[in-house]
Amino acid sequence: MTRNIIAIDLDSCIGCHSCAVVCKQENNVGLGTYYNKVLTVGPSGTYPDLEMYYLPVACQHCDNPECVSVCPTGASYKRDDGVVLVDHSKCIGCQYCVMACPYGVRTYDEAKDKGVIEKCTMCAHLIDKGDKPACVKHCPGQARLFGDMDDPESDVSKMIAKKKTYKLKDVGNHPGVTYGLDKCTWKGDE
Amino acid sequence: MDIQWPLLIFSVLLGVTSGCFVFLGVGEIKGKFKDVRFLGALIAFVCLAVGGCVSVLHMGHPERATHLLGNLGSGLSKELFTVAIMGIVSLVYLVLAKKDYPGASKVFGIIGAVLGLVLPVVAGASYLIAARPAWDSFTLPLMFLGSGLGIGMTLMAALVVLRGKADEAAFAVKLALVGVVAMVVLSLAYVAWIAMAPYQAESRSIGRLISGDLALAFWLGVVVVGLALPVALTLVAMKSVGKSTELSAPKNLAGYLFAACACSVVGAVVLRIIMYGVGTSVEQFIYR
Repeated sequence: MTRNIIAIDLDSCIGCHSCAVVCKQENNVGLGTYYNKVLTVGPSGTYPDLEMYYLPVACQHCDNPECVSVCPTGASYKRDDGVVLVDHSKCIGCQYCVMACPYGVRTYDEAKDKGVIEKCTMCAHLIDKGDKPACVKHCPGQARLFGDMDDPESDVSKMIAKKKTYKLKDVGNHPGVTYGLDKCTWKGDE
Repeated sequence: MDIQWPLLIFSVLLGVTSGCFVFLGVGEIKGKFKDVRFLGALIAFVCLAVGGCVSVLHMGHPERATHLLGNLGSGLSKELFTVAIMGIVSLVYLVLAKKDYPGASKVFGIIGAVLGLVLPVVAGASYLIAARPAWDSFTLPLMFLGSGLGIGMTLMAALVVLRGKADEAAFAVKLALVGVVAMVVLSLAYVAWIAMAPYQAESRSIGRLISGDLALAFWLGVVVVGLALPVALTLVAMKSVGKSTELSAPKNLAGYLFAACACSVVGAVVLRIIMYGVGTSVEQFIYR
């Protein structure tokens, strides 16, 4: 069974924010709203042993998405391939999913399509045509990877096999996005 | 997170409905409070209706409410159904209270009391979200129940003192005290949870309540006005009831109970403001 995820090799991420910019262009994301953002973690440590890495964050397309469980209308749903989406025609804008998301990656959009929830779609409109999500396609460091986690030959499976991998804090939602990091100390558990 | 005023007002108002119906249900079992049951049920129904309408203001697209059948497992859907059932029961009880069907009134009064105990718990259970540790405890819905009992039962006791039979006043004030004590215990239990919740962080720490930016709201709004004053005022009413002093005149007694009710409302609102204040997520990356 296909389980599409995004994996990010943080050792290759140069913090250029291209993924955040191209995501806005591809998805026509309104001013002040983001599906994807790049955070700077650090610097940490004591000179001269300093560490710093960039952490791109967006919807984690969780295995057990709390946003889907709490949605009273079924507008938030998880596809068979693991992508979590919002059906705007069913969304009543109750913002319950915004409260339930552990990562603050959903937003209540009043500007574009008033009164509904916006979030990363993993560029479902592109992957359904066999393409890659825009953030993956345009990452200059090739840090962002997309593919089927259940396929050992996919880019994501290969990265997971060869690097130390981490996930964001898990409160039962089992986040899907996998971060690879060998050159720095993962700060996500602090 | 930001204070969600429509939800806050809704939760306080449905607490009034809850407390009123628990009070009326006990009255039905004991064969008391017949003179106030119409007014009590009317207040309960109006609070539920107004609260329901206010909660809609929280939604971006209330016109899509038909989709609410889409996920019956959602806390919000359960809350909606409970509110709808409570609305029907209170409406039926309201009609029965105007007519004279003692048997039916008793049955619906007891059903209303049971629903009154369930309603705030179901509403509060919507907030049980693992991502927000300061909310993720059964003490939160119980806090909702407690404040409802405190507010609704002091209000009803005041009405009994004013409009009911003289020999029912003492029992009504006793019930009000039970409601207020439940409010104190369950509110403090929730505050204790804030101190014990997992994934502790400064933004949701008990320190914010004890000596931080929420200290004034907590100590003055919750502890003094919201909990201590209602207990003191209800105790004064209980000591005075049935005596032939000026204090025990129905108007004065009702004044104490109305004041206890008003203080309980203030406490319930402020505690919910604190609840939203400490309801921060385990991680908050993009939107803080």
